[in-house]
Amino acid sequence: MKDFRIEREGRGPVQLVRLSGSLDMYSFPRLETQLNTLFQQGHYCVVLDCRDLDYIGSAGLGALIGFAKQAREHSGDVKLLNVPERIYKIIELLGFTKVLQVHNAEDAALGAFARA
Amino acid sequence: MSDALKGISVGCTDAEVYVRVAGRGTFQNSQPLRRFALDMVERGYKVFVVDLGHCLGMDSTFLGVLAGIGLRLRQGTNGGRVHVTNVSPRNLELLQTLGLDRLFSVDEHAGASANAASPADQDFQQLPESDVVDLKAPLNKNETTDLMLEAHDNLTEADERNIPKFKDLTKFLRENIARRRGGPPPQDATS
Repeated sequence: MKDFRIEREGRGPVQLVRLSGSLDMYSFPRLETQLNTLFQQGHYCVVLDCRDLDYIGSAGLGALIGFAKQAREHSGDVKLLNVPERIYKIIELLGFTKVLQVHNAEDAALGAFARA
Repeated sequence: MSDALKGISVGCTDAEVYVRVAGRGTFQNSQPLRRFALDMVERGYKVFVVDLGHCLGMDSTFLGVLAGIGLRLRQGTNGGRVHVTNVSPRNLELLQTLGLDRLFSVDEHAGASANAASPADQDFQQLPESDVVDLKAPLNKNETTDLMLEAHDNLTEADERNIPKFKDLTKFLRENIARRRGGPPPQDATS
């Protein structure tokens, strides 16, 4: 099992957060802290790059809905990018794609904020 | 990992049910465990021994299903209980985070699973569709949604400190289920 890692970089008004490893109940508090810190700093436009994510648990997905809702209340959003197919199948099956925007290209994800 | 150590394997003695979890316990393999456990409780078993010695991690749905077993056994009058053994520090932290260390008896070592009453290795059987890396059938959307909601409701019943942790997820799942049934959106006291 790969260790969970978070790397963040600013892309203009959008914060790109790259996730790798397993996002489970054990590691999710680290992402929670990262997102809370970004929100406290006024960064409500966030893209989570999931390319190197090998697992996401149900509680993590549920919590992301809450973060997206919080961001939208401040004219931002939390969007997902490069979700691996096996994870995408699950989040689509459970209907999470109706409330979390998912993009396959970084330009599209970043551009979606500009169009909003 | 050998075939004997994949997914969820179960065995029984006259008095106890033994469950071994190898690999991950997730919402993808929670349903077979839930069905098996309900059947065993119906048959009158009151003690479940869950061996996490080869468990690499559990998600909240899986833990919620275990909590459901514990809650059901606690409702009984004969002191039914879930014993969790061989718990790694990481899994112990998960149990403690959700307050399940107060619902289950937790042994970080082999404990009860190593006692003489435990079934022999060859008497354990792997539950079908319980190895998350080798699932044959696609998950059923409605069944999985129902399972996830029930599991997270179990977690909040087991420890009310879990309510804020899962309120967004349970609200989302309740809304999905209400939509499926054609009813009005559910009232959510937690939001």
